[in-house]
Amino acid sequence: MAASPINFARGDLQDQKVADYQSPLGVTRTETVTLPGLRTQSGFTFEQVDVSYQTLGTLSPARDNAILVCPALSGDAHVAGTDPHTGRPGWWAYHVGPGKAIDTGKFFVICASVLGGCGGTTGPASLRPGTGKSYGMDFPPVTVRDMVSVQIKLLDHLGIPQLFAAIGGSMGGMQALALAVDHPERVCVCIPIATCISHTAMQIAFNEIGRHAVLSDPDWNGGNYSASRRPVHGLAVARMVGHVTYLSEFAMTHKFGRQRRLEQGANGDKSSPFSVESYLQHQGENFVKRFDPNSYLYLTRAIDQFDLFENGPAAETLRRLRSHFLVISFESDWLYPPAQSRELVRLLKRAGIPATYINIGTEYGHDSFLIENPAFAGVVRNYLENEYRLARD
Amino acid sequence: MHPGIYETVLRWIPEKSRVLDLGAGAGAFLARLVQARQATGEGVEKDPALVARCVERGLVVHQGDIADGLDQYGDRAFDFVLLLGTLQELVSPANILQEAFRVGRHVVIAHTNFAHFSVRLQVLLRGRTPMTQFLPSHWYHTQNLHFFSILDFQDFCREAGIREVNHAYFNARGAVRFLPNLRAEEAVSLLQADTISRRSAVAEPGKTKTETYEV
Repeated sequence: MAASPINFARGDLQDQKVADYQSPLGVTRTETVTLPGLRTQSGFTFEQVDVSYQTLGTLSPARDNAILVCPALSGDAHVAGTDPHTGRPGWWAYHVGPGKAIDTGKFFVICASVLGGCGGTTGPASLRPGTGKSYGMDFPPVTVRDMVSVQIKLLDHLGIPQLFAAIGGSMGGMQALALAVDHPERVCVCIPIATCISHTAMQIAFNEIGRHAVLSDPDWNGGNYSASRRPVHGLAVARMVGHVTYLSEFAMTHKFGRQRRLEQGANGDKSSPFSVESYLQHQGENFVKRFDPNSYLYLTRAIDQFDLFENGPAAETLRRLRSHFLVISFESDWLYPPAQSRELVRLLKRAGIPATYINIGTEYGHDSFLIENPAFAGVVRNYLENEYRLARD
Repeated sequence: MHPGIYETVLRWIPEKSRVLDLGAGAGAFLARLVQARQATGEGVEKDPALVARCVERGLVVHQGDIADGLDQYGDRAFDFVLLLGTLQELVSPANILQEAFRVGRHVVIAHTNFAHFSVRLQVLLRGRTPMTQFLPSHWYHTQNLHFFSILDFQDFCREAGIREVNHAYFNARGAVRFLPNLRAEEAVSLLQADTISRRSAVAEPGKTKTETYEV
């Protein structure tokens, strides 16, 4: 398929104030709710957890139109609309909103920051009750399934017995999968995007480089760093490596080539950095402003440990499922290559589950689901529309 | 393809069958089957733009190249596997057919008849690669890799232990009953392979992936 007409210069919405982006949703707020106890997979008990979440659209009287959007590693509850404090658009504003792929005019969209992250839901930077100090590295190991347990608690709190759909890319796709597998009665449709059933050695390796960058920053200090002296250099390097894995060679050539940040002087000065260098530095610097280094360690560990079928063989586990699946991959995604999605699809189909699979030709790598992407948006919109009609019949 | 072929296939497929359409395109025929026969349908299609059209129609569809095999499907997962106009475009039709019989009880094949008299005449009198309504492309544009006749296909099935349960033949004027190999331009066959063996004659030596399958 030919490359879709994507204005990649606008990039994803994560780390920039996009001046020309006007959200039809206007200003959207996140809320925080404190929910009762949670026991993690590792056996740690939280007396209570804070959950930061956002809802968009209106829940139908039959409560049958709720869609849970599961965020990726760097995403938070602010999925769409303009943030009242930062002015930033939500991380998935391209695809969530009125008339968009996930149509807030039809669906009630819920998005919550994950456990262990730093988006307002309980994580390593949260205060540990009774100590007046943050958890730091005393925070228990979290898993993707723990994140899902928190989301289920939130759904209970919101009074939603069954989701119409769970959708997410990358780490968000793992959550959507775990939710469909562990709570089959709670979701009709599952849309995992650019994700996998477990990480390969290569995926773990890139995360290990990121973690190592944080751990070897002297300011990390065993995880006990102060707000004024955080291991920002290590985290920035981690983000730079991460960012390279999210793009593709095509995207980088297209966007940067061998351009330099400043035009060469008349004397042929080549000391100005390449555009790609300053871009990565910029990404790193922005990321550390909003992300907690310890959270980075916990979340990358969680996705490395993720194994959808850790509790039993795939065939047996999947046979209990009732959800319909739409699995999406991107041809140019070398971090979560299409073969991983195809393996998921093979297991689903062999278990007799209706699964549609599309490998979209978008040439912008793993980030293809975060950017403006008409081919991707069309498939998601049409699938949700048809399945919603089917579910209501 | 001749519209009569689609009508014929619709007649052959009982209600509530499980149908896999290989090379489903934009899903028009599969959608018809699902609606008219309450079939549980699924399509396989290579082109993502066409896959997106199938999704738009609400079909279950799998983006993939048939040539890579059908490993995503279990044995006998379908009652009918359709290969309508696709077989002649595949590099290894024999291997695909064996895969089709692994995942389906019946296989429906539609193909162009390369022994139609207008084809024969064009080769004989004009000395050029024939072009007809059903073979519309120049030799350098055609998707077809294999050019075979109705008799060729019957020989092939006999050697492979495939039984032809039903067939229908068409030319531009409609159904053909007499001398189909001379007068029909397109053929459709309903095939069954109860006796297909693990090392069936259909599989090309050394190229078969099917040895590991339980048939």
